[in-house]
Amino acid sequence: MKVSLEWLREYVDFDVEPGELARMLTMSGTAVDTMFTFGAGVSGVLVCEVLEVGPHPDADTLRLAVVSDGTGTRPIVCGAPNLAEGMKAALALPGATLPTVSEGKLEAVTIRGVRSEGMMVSGLELGISEDHSGILELDAAASVGMDLHEVLPLDDVIFELEVTPNRPDCMSMLGVAREVAALTGGTLRRPALDVDETGGPVFELAKVFIEDPSGCPRYTARVVTEVGIGPSPGWMARRLLASGLRPINNVVDITNYVLMETGQPLHAFDLDLLGERTIVVRRARPGEKMTTLDGAERPLGQSALVIADAREPVALAGIMGGEDSEVTEHSRNILIESAFFDPTGIMLTSRKLGLRTEASARFERGCDPEGTAVAALRAAVLMAGLAGGKVAEGDIDVYPREFTPVTVEVRPERVNRVLGTEIPASEMAQILGRLEIRVEEGETLKATPPSFRPDLEREIDMIEEIARIYGYDRIPAGLPAGAGADAGLSRRQLLASRIADSLVSLGLSEVYLYSFMRRADLDLLRVGDGDRMRRVVALLNPLAETGEVMRTTLLPGLLRAAAGNFNRGNRDLALFETGRVFISRSVEETPEEIDSLGVLLYGALGPPSWSEPARPADFFDLKGSLESLAGAIGVELGFEPAEITFLAPGRSSRVLLAGDDVGVAGQLHPAVSTAFGLEGDVFVAELEIAPLLDAAPEVRQFIPVGRYPNVKVDIAVVVDEDLAADQVERRILSSGGVLLRSVRLFDLYTGPQVPPGRKSLAYALEFGSAEGTLTDEQAHAEMGRIVAALEEQFGAVLRGGGNRGG
Amino acid sequence: MTLKEELLISVEERPEMAALVNDALGALQGCGSLREIEDARVRLLGKKGTVTSVFKGLAVLPPEEKAVVGRIGNLLRQVIEEEVDALRRNIEHRETERRLAAQTLDVTLPGRRRGIGHRHLLAQVIEEATRIFVGLGYEVAEGPEVELDYYNFEALNQPPYHPARSLNDTLYVRRPDPICDDPADIMLRTHTSPVQVRVMEKRRPPLYVISPGRAYRRDEIDATHSAVFHQVEGLAVDRDITLGHLKGTLEVFAHKLFGRERDVRFRPHYFPFTEPSAEMDVSCFKCLGAGCSLCKGAGWLEILGCGMVDPNVFGYVGYDPEEFTGFAFGMGVERIAMLKYGIDDMRVFYEDDARFLRQF
Ligand SMILES: [Zn+2]
Repeated sequence: MKVSLEWLREYVDFDVEPGELARMLTMSGTAVDTMFTFGAGVSGVLVCEVLEVGPHPDADTLRLAVVSDGTGTRPIVCGAPNLAEGMKAALALPGATLPTVSEGKLEAVTIRGVRSEGMMVSGLELGISEDHSGILELDAAASVGMDLHEVLPLDDVIFELEVTPNRPDCMSMLGVAREVAALTGGTLRRPALDVDETGGPVFELAKVFIEDPSGCPRYTARVVTEVGIGPSPGWMARRLLASGLRPINNVVDITNYVLMETGQPLHAFDLDLLGERTIVVRRARPGEKMTTLDGAERPLGQSALVIADAREPVALAGIMGGEDSEVTEHSRNILIESAFFDPTGIMLTSRKLGLRTEASARFERGCDPEGTAVAALRAAVLMAGLAGGKVAEGDIDVYPREFTPVTVEVRPERVNRVLGTEIPASEMAQILGRLEIRVEEGETLKATPPSFRPDLEREIDMIEEIARIYGYDRIPAGLPAGAGADAGLSRRQLLASRIADSLVSLGLSEVYLYSFMRRADLDLLRVGDGDRMRRVVALLNPLAETGEVMRTTLLPGLLRAAAGNFNRGNRDLALFETGRVFISRSVEETPEEIDSLGVLLYGALGPPSWSEPARPADFFDLKGSLESLAGAIGVELGFEPAEITFLAPGRSSRVLLAGDDVGVAGQLHPAVSTAFGLEGDVFVAELEIAPLLDAAPEVRQFIPVGRYPNVKVDIAVVVDEDLAADQVERRILSSGGVLLRSVRLFDLYTGPQVPPGRKSLAYALEFGSAEGTLTDEQAHAEMGRIVAALEEQFGAVLRGGGNRGG
Repeated sequence: MTLKEELLISVEERPEMAALVNDALGALQGCGSLREIEDARVRLLGKKGTVTSVFKGLAVLPPEEKAVVGRIGNLLRQVIEEEVDALRRNIEHRETERRLAAQTLDVTLPGRRRGIGHRHLLAQVIEEATRIFVGLGYEVAEGPEVELDYYNFEALNQPPYHPARSLNDTLYVRRPDPICDDPADIMLRTHTSPVQVRVMEKRRPPLYVISPGRAYRRDEIDATHSAVFHQVEGLAVDRDITLGHLKGTLEVFAHKLFGRERDVRFRPHYFPFTEPSAEMDVSCFKCLGAGCSLCKGAGWLEILGCGMVDPNVFGYVGYDPEEFTGFAFGMGVERIAMLKYGIDDMRVFYEDDARFLRQF
């Protein structure tokens, strides 16, 4: 809502600076988004008329105009595409100042050999709009030679207000003036409504029937006869312009003016075009259509409320008038409609038709049911004064559902308990009174809000009014005395953040990805029909660019993030995301939401160093990252070869936790990498997080570390090449006895030193005892048992071994 | 008295030994290497050494002289051993210095860094906000991102037919009637407030809860809009919670998150689920309140929305508004990150360019 201060002063006096007024409004809930001076710094600009337009002899993009400036003609060179003969435009004379041109800089110039005695300017150059697509076209009625300040509301300060949806009353000049009066202690001044009703009794001129009183609780009509359609006076046109409305003609402008003034939408019908001079407010009939003022022919659903004449709809109630009954330059007799429509009905019809207007926006928010007659009269008074009309005697006011005010009990002690204040009851009453809320003081305050405040129905609504006028900044701040019994992060929340922190310490960076994907992504991943990932949650109204379903896997997003990075030259990536995936249960239910961890390694590991070459990441880096993060929360993961559609055969595994499947890890199948635009080896994993958190031990038990050093022994055994390494390790552990403290594979070898089809696995073993330092003999006896077990089970051959000392 | 002084005094009793002593000590003076020291030591203290010979000669001396000569011999041996040790240490030290000097590192070469990764900036902001509220006695609650209309709108007192419920503004999964709202409609939550309703449904006050998480809006993606965004919302319900408590709590938060030097103000505003409602502004980071392009000349930046929980919301969860009052607040994580770190395009958060991730 744009508010002109020049206009506002008509309704309330205030002696604060505009900046301070803006602050006061902002701090009372009606925020002043921007404040600007309309056309600040404009001088030496006048109205000109374009008499002739011809080509520039030496430039295709420029044209040569001859304009009249009221005293003579001038040649002007102009590049604007909308330059046309007969138009009125703003002409900056040599010596003029504009917000965009400093004083004295504008001179008569010769442009490519042609003299230009001034410049025709755009809205942007004048600082009154953002429009720079052409020169500013002025009203055809503007007098040539007149200073622009006479024609446009230049120098007026305009507030752009952010009106919250609960305050329809502030969508009007009078409503804003009422707030200003309440804030500054000023008095609201309403416009005078004196008029001689010389147009004959209204009931002889028109009839109004309401067939749907719930859709239209009130309809007030005024008739003005013998109007002369013409341009509005300058003051009114200026005010409309300042409010962002374009002047059209005096009658239409008056309806808009009164709308802006009172907040009551009005519609002017050409009374002579209404069949039987009758208004019927009713639901549309089956198959009815009408052409609205915007030129669109619209089929009307049966729920649409229409204004009809005796035959057919002439307006969409509360939304837009019809073309057939529009006021034109030939109109003589006018019926002014000022009605109150049911907000929900207007909203539904407006939404169904996809048509929102100034009027519908106000009716949706809720207008003043008691304000219709005053607004109709105000418009009639203005039509009498500005369009020479005769106001018919009386109005037709059909009011089947009368407004009944509610009275709200306000307990002063409750007000202070909610706000944390000690405001006296008398001050509360006084604040409410300034907002035109009627207050009866007693044990409690009995507050009756005015009809234009549909938002005030409950005690809490009154508390808010008291608080905002009293001033939020005067309410003392403090902290609650209590606190939650469950304060702090839960164990699971701490573990989840430890998972993320471990991955970071392992060199992975966290990404945030959209929660959407495309069904086609699953095809790229070659996911089978029966797979859980196919149980997608589809969006009814997806955005085109982000995907039409909720993700069932983090991988497409991770792969796209990797590809995006790759294309921008970031070729070494270690990324993870902890995010939700969504698995549909049925269309009627909300889906299962699973917190997942996705990991991606690509390119070389770690920051490159001058001292050694970067090593490309491989499967064991991926696996090691998962093992380390599991270790950080005290759980152990297993890996088992598996066939997974999007992973490379022989390089993919299921991830197990205590035997249960919790995810997958492996090298992306090259076909999938290519499909996502990645070259080379990509390693990915996706795990469910909840099972990890469930399995994490609550408290880890202390294991005594022993006072004696362990004995370290290395052994290398030769086994069949396809024997899984973890089987050997498990056998070592099971055969090792109580003295075996740890096993670590430190070398894997195939080559000339071992027979074909065999491989050598070298392990570092540690033996120890709480009793004392082990002797070499004891350690070797233990080792002997292990080697014997490996020989027996796997046909392993001892390749070497030795004591690495204490 | 040092051993050497004692030796020199003792030798005065046997002047004929003075030459021996002087020669012995002099022999060590000229040694420049470990080898020369060893040679000198052998010459003096070895089996055939000059000092050893003193002891060999003792047998032929009368007992009273034997004691004196033996004592001088012992002192001389001890002094020589001491000197030899000192000379060795000295030379070893010089050798080490020389070796190190020959192997000087260019300490300005880059270190061998271990690749530590980065939490996403949004995760960092969420964690920071969470830490502050945990410190104020709050717990953290989570809830589903795909929600029912009931939790996302209805139980939060959102009026029927509100534009937020339209297919233009909210991403829907299920909505049998596109015009009318139904509590069973399924949508992507448009804020994390439904978590608060779910918590209140299950528990009784006192409640001090924040709900950080992801929310969705049907916004085409550009520099200032994102279909996915994050919020941290909070709720305190207890006996005698006041608007003053809301102000105090959020002032503490703002000062911790943005610094003590920031001014904070509360402006009345409107939200369906709170009344009285407010927006909290902090003084502009860039111009410190003077007015600039970041704050559009206002000197203030809008940070969050808040208010006292509307009694209607308590009605939905069965709390008696006469017994309990509460406040709620909610902030956009992206907005806070943008303001605090000077980011002017929301898309950077979701493009996850490694060069962005590395910065924080
Ligand atoms: Zn600023």
